[in-house]
Amino acid sequence: MGNILIVTELKDGAIREASYELVSFAQKIGGDIKSLVIGSGVAGEAESFAKKGGGTVYVADDASLANYNVDGYAAAIRAGIDASGADVVLISNTPSGWDVAPRIAAALDVAFVSDAFDFQDGAYIRRIFNGKLDARVKVEGDKAIVSVQPGALAAFDGSSEGSTEALTVDTSGARAKFIEVKVAESKGVDLTKASVIVSGGRGVGDPEKFTEVIQPLADALGGAMGASRPVVDAGWLPHQYQVGSSGQVVTPKLYIACGISGAIQHLVGMKGSNFIIAINKDPDAPIFEVAQLGVVADLFEIVPALTAAVAAAKG
Amino acid sequence: MKILVCLKQVPHQDARLDIDGAGTWIKEDGIKFEINSYDTFALEEALRIKDAGEAEVVVVSIGPDRVTQALRTALGMGADRAVHVKDTEIDGSDALVISKLLAAVGKEESPDLVLMGLMSDDGNTAAVAPMLAELMGIPSATAVMSVEASGDGYKVERELEGGALEVVELPKPCLIAVQSGLNQVRYASLKGIMAAKKKPIDVKGAGDLGLAGNVGAGAAKTHIEKIFAPVKGEGAEIVEGSTDEVVTQLVAKIKELGLL
Ligand SMILES: Cc1cc2nc3c(=O)[nH]c(=O)nc-3n(C[C@H](O)[C@H](O)[C@H](O)COP(=O)(O)OP(=O)(O)OC[C@H]3O[C@@H](n4cnc5c(N)ncnc54)[C@H](O)[C@@H]3O)c2cc1C
Ligand SMILES: Nc1ncnc2c1ncn2[C@@H]1O[C@H](COP(=O)(O)O)[C@@H](O)[C@H]1O
Repeated sequence: MGNILIVTELKDGAIREASYELVSFAQKIGGDIKSLVIGSGVAGEAESFAKKGGGTVYVADDASLANYNVDGYAAAIRAGIDASGADVVLISNTPSGWDVAPRIAAALDVAFVSDAFDFQDGAYIRRIFNGKLDARVKVEGDKAIVSVQPGALAAFDGSSEGSTEALTVDTSGARAKFIEVKVAESKGVDLTKASVIVSGGRGVGDPEKFTEVIQPLADALGGAMGASRPVVDAGWLPHQYQVGSSGQVVTPKLYIACGISGAIQHLVGMKGSNFIIAINKDPDAPIFEVAQLGVVADLFEIVPALTAAVAAAKG
Repeated sequence: MKILVCLKQVPHQDARLDIDGAGTWIKEDGIKFEINSYDTFALEEALRIKDAGEAEVVVVSIGPDRVTQALRTALGMGADRAVHVKDTEIDGSDALVISKLLAAVGKEESPDLVLMGLMSDDGNTAAVAPMLAELMGIPSATAVMSVEASGDGYKVERELEGGALEVVELPKPCLIAVQSGLNQVRYASLKGIMAAKKKPIDVKGAGDLGLAGNVGAGAAKTHIEKIFAPVKGEGAEIVEGSTDEVVTQLVAKIKELGLL
């Protein structure tokens, strides 16, 4: 299938797990794999990636690339595409990946496939409608920029022969300016310590219902209350209750999801729980795929009755 | 100061999703539509900038007749005028073609700021914002959680994983794609809805934007071959019965887990 360029990503000075998943994705497509490492003082990481599936690794090493900047990174990726002669470019669908990848496709006037989680029989597979349906996407011609869902494939952990090659990038035209990264401050509720979490989603319907229906079950089980993002977006609960990729990642002994559909960004925050019970009136809700026990019903029927039964069982 | 807000009309979040005869999209007849959730936050942000100073807010949407409803809602909330790009030729367009159409509108309007959503709730491509910025030749930021005027442009906070924020400065003109939840979205007031009836909606076809023959499935570089229900794994064991029976089984399980 020609040349594939993997655009790696660094986090805290090391190449992320997601970049090794891109190696697996590239192997699935099939082709000559080359890679790109972008950053400042990244020669060592590039060397090691070259030995772990990266093939020829182009290194865009420049002080101006120390932090993510859309214009600088776009310039580096385009230089990487030129140097590698890549047909297919793989980028992880992370906050920096989704920020820059479509720009490259528009600049080069080539196909863009977003957040693919698999490649089967010549087509990319991706989720649509927030996880409720999947689509097979075909690309016209052989050139494509593809962003790949982190966690979709196992990371490649074999070894390979590879080498590095320095790349010069002109970042002088950058207009967007990186100022700083503010780390999330943890205030109040630390869900990561709770042994039971009862979470409510958009299906709970309004803020009062969290106090009347969700919190009492959490209390009865001696646990904490959690929520999906739309609940926090609507101002029903503060951000510290949010479970998911942009909230907290939790692993309680028991997670009860009420009125939560199970979009990937929520799942990554709770699928590591020891046991998951899902209550949802839609039998096709993706949450039932990660749950061990499911109840297809109105949460307002089940949750109050469960709260009462738990209280009774405690005597 | 002119702000262009791009909004898409999408199937209502609670709409039934049945696959159409061709197997390439959902059946759209008989379901309710609404403004894409992310775009309501973008519009609200534009209206706040307008409320705080002086700005003309122009909304643009590409889609069939039903989109008029979304544009009327946006005008009712306080947008000043609307552009409706409507053309049967556009059917089958991918994100890049949509971006080219929006870029043509952007060229006509030359806004100081483009506000839009991070992602559409139906296609979930999250591609149009960076593409449009590239085609308009302006800087951009996605997943933005706060927008603040700063010097000659804006200082924005981009959401990273786990709730960390990346602070970025963008000179004007620029494009900002917002993440959900950056503000609380207003409702259209009755007065606003009445006033909206007099506000103009400018309808344009692909030809008016210089893109006749360059839109639709023929121009798209990606095609949806098939859509389908996600492949099911083992899935959950479904507890059935009356509420009492279900609850009894759940309690038994919770006991077995040692949590009761
Ligand atoms: C970059 C990014 C980051 C994100 N980060 C997060 C994150 O950290 N956490 C997160 O949760 N989301 C996150 N999201 C949003 C995510 O994509 C989904 O939109 C969100 O998780 C959906 O929340 P929900 O399941 O509550 O709502 P919906 O998807 O609307 O689901 C509501 C569910 O409730 C059910 N329901 C309705 N009424 C009842 C009833 N009476 N009884 C039983 N069931 C009922 C419905 O069947 C439906 O399945 C993120 C998105 C993006 C793009
Ligand atoms: N048909 C459209 N008309 C107007 N704006 C759109 C359209 N499609 C997408 N957009 C904008 O692009 C954003 C991202 O959408 P997408 O790339 O399709 O996920 C949306 O939130 C809208 O702001």
